Amino acid sequence: MKRLVYFTADDHSVYTWSAGKLELEAKFPGDELGVTAFREYLSGHRGGLFYALADLAGEDFHEEQIPYLRGGDREIVVQRRLAQRYRDTRLATALSLGHIRGERRNERLLLTSFTNTQRLTPWLDALAESEAKLAGMFSVPLLAPALAARLGARGGRCFVVTVNTTGLRQCFVEDGKLRFARLERTVDMVPEALASFVRSETGRLAQYLSTLRVLPREGPPVQVLVVAPHGLRAAFERTLVSDTRLSFLTVDQTDAERRVGVKSAPPDTGAEQLYLHLAVRRPPREQFARREDRRSYYLWQLKRGLVAAGGLSLAACALYAGAGWIEIFGQRGEVEQLRAETRSTQQQYERITSTFPVTQTTTDNLRATVVEFTNIAKRSAQPERALVYLSKVLGDFPQIELDSLAWRIEGGAQRARNAAAAVAPSDPKRTATEVLDISGRVGAMQRSDYRAITQEVQRFADALRADPSYEVLRTQLPFDVTSEGTLSGDIGRAAETGEAPRFTIVLGRSVQ
Amino acid sequence: MNFTALELRQLALPLLAFIALLGAGSALITWTESRAGAQASVLADARGERSRAKERLMRIAEEEKEVTEKLEVYQHLKTLGILGDERRLEWADAMTRIRTERELPDLRYRVERQRPLVSVPGKPAPVDFYASTMRVELLLLHEGDLLHFLGDLRQSGNAYYSVRSCALARTGQPAAVAGLAPRLRAECEIDLITIMDRAAKT
Repeated sequence: MKRLVYFTADDHSVYTWSAGKLELEAKFPGDELGVTAFREYLSGHRGGLFYALADLAGEDFHEEQIPYLRGGDREIVVQRRLAQRYRDTRLATALSLGHIRGERRNERLLLTSFTNTQRLTPWLDALAESEAKLAGMFSVPLLAPALAARLGARGGRCFVVTVNTTGLRQCFVEDGKLRFARLERTVDMVPEALASFVRSETGRLAQYLSTLRVLPREGPPVQVLVVAPHGLRAAFERTLVSDTRLSFLTVDQTDAERRVGVKSAPPDTGAEQLYLHLAVRRPPREQFARREDRRSYYLWQLKRGLVAAGGLSLAACALYAGAGWIEIFGQRGEVEQLRAETRSTQQQYERITSTFPVTQTTTDNLRATVVEFTNIAKRSAQPERALVYLSKVLGDFPQIELDSLAWRIEGGAQRARNAAAAVAPSDPKRTATEVLDISGRVGAMQRSDYRAITQEVQRFADALRADPSYEVLRTQLPFDVTSEGTLSGDIGRAAETGEAPRFTIVLGRSVQ
Repeated sequence: MNFTALELRQLALPLLAFIALLGAGSALITWTESRAGAQASVLADARGERSRAKERLMRIAEEEKEVTEKLEVYQHLKTLGILGDERRLEWADAMTRIRTERELPDLRYRVERQRPLVSVPGKPAPVDFYASTMRVELLLLHEGDLLHFLGDLRQSGNAYYSVRSCALARTGQPAAVAGLAPRLRAECEIDLITIMDRAAKT
């Protein structure tokens, strides 16, 4: 529930506002007794949310210029200007009118305050004492630009004229910003007289502003938006005839209420209900209350903001999660469809394979058995081939006598053996090497004839290379003639008495 | 704006609510993302499975040809007794027969305990390959006896004989004394490989 305190010169009213509906809750006289009654009233609404709206005649407007500044520096200068202008700055504020085009870019300010702030401060103190959350202290003129926009003002200059219970309120708005306002008391008069009063007062105001050079003397007519009280539009339109200086546009108060969004209001309220409603729905940034008067409101906003931010975060997370779950459910459907397709394909496969030749095992095991067996067989070798090859080569070397032969498989078979621990399928690309160690002697030659013996062994090794599939992996000559080895001899003794010199040749062949 | 202690206490509850709501939101997202990850994995598996099934169906003609070819080898393995349990008595019989037929002066052998060689995954059961290493010592009149022995061993079946090593050396008997005495000694190490197809129908 939001509450509005409406300050006038005579008395002050408290309205409740809920969803566009205004209801009068309390009314207090503007004197000391009224303040006391107001305190009592507030004791029953401690911590409530309040908006304050002043509709008073004594409101000052003064235009100033300050240098182009930002942040804290600007605030200091603005406060200094307000202090220079007004003795009591508790209810004073500065409205920015924009920057002047030029090199210095000075800022135009409209300083405004009430001429008699003492009348209002006890009421604001009472609000502060009751820990009320004061959203802002506004005056009717501060809300005039918002009302002008709602009534269809197209920018430029315009007067907004309303008939409030306090009197005839005239506000001058330029480019959506307030420039001046005044309140002229009215007495009960017939519609035509009221319309004439509106016309004459508007003319006077225009004249006054021209004198101040706020309004240019020449130029197009200034638009005047007049909110006519209920049922008086026709009378107003008859009287408010546009001329070269002023262009009147009369809006019926009922229509204005609709445009502003007022759902209902007490029957005896004038056009101030429009401002009251705008104070809640469209409160302007600029207002009169000090920061310390609004501290409870800031704290309340912060608390609400925290909870709202948490709620929004949760909602955003829930939205994101919801999108994720939509995707998950979509994927579940897709998985079901894929599984159904897989089952169908497998059934089709089984139908077709049932016509295959009868096997004693499954197709997978048949393939696994044969493929792995083929791999093992490929990596295996039999010694016959190497022995037969050696035998053929030996036919050309009658002096060579073999002592021993050692044939073995290296690589594949060895690895296959080691794989026993891992028991993993063998790699078909793995190759094995068939190795044949040949140890022998060169007979029928003198032992001292090391040149001939070495030559014969080398010739034998060369002959073993005739088949390109075989490779001589190592040759150990009877005499080490390499630079890396040690050459030794025993020249002084009869060498022929010993055995023939031995040699070793290692032959290899890659097994696919 | 500096807060008083009272104001800070007033802010504590909304702050806690904010943290709790934010935490709940984060937890919700974390949970959703973990489920989404798991679901994506299931989807990828399902896609892979369907793809494999389709691929298999498309290769069915090729598979039929492969089955026909492989069946021939499989049957041959079965006929040779390579498929199935070890037949150690048959191996002993074969060794005795070869020694007698080839009139080998001496033949000693020892078959080690069976060890797993390779296990190939199959469907519905794996195919296990086993090997039993046989060490053979032979006395030979000439080197041809070794070749005959190996050939006869292969012909005897009941396993796939993968020779791992064979060493041949002279016995050192003088030629004049020897006569029909063995002149060569051979030592071989042979893997006797058998296959156990767990899905085979008995």
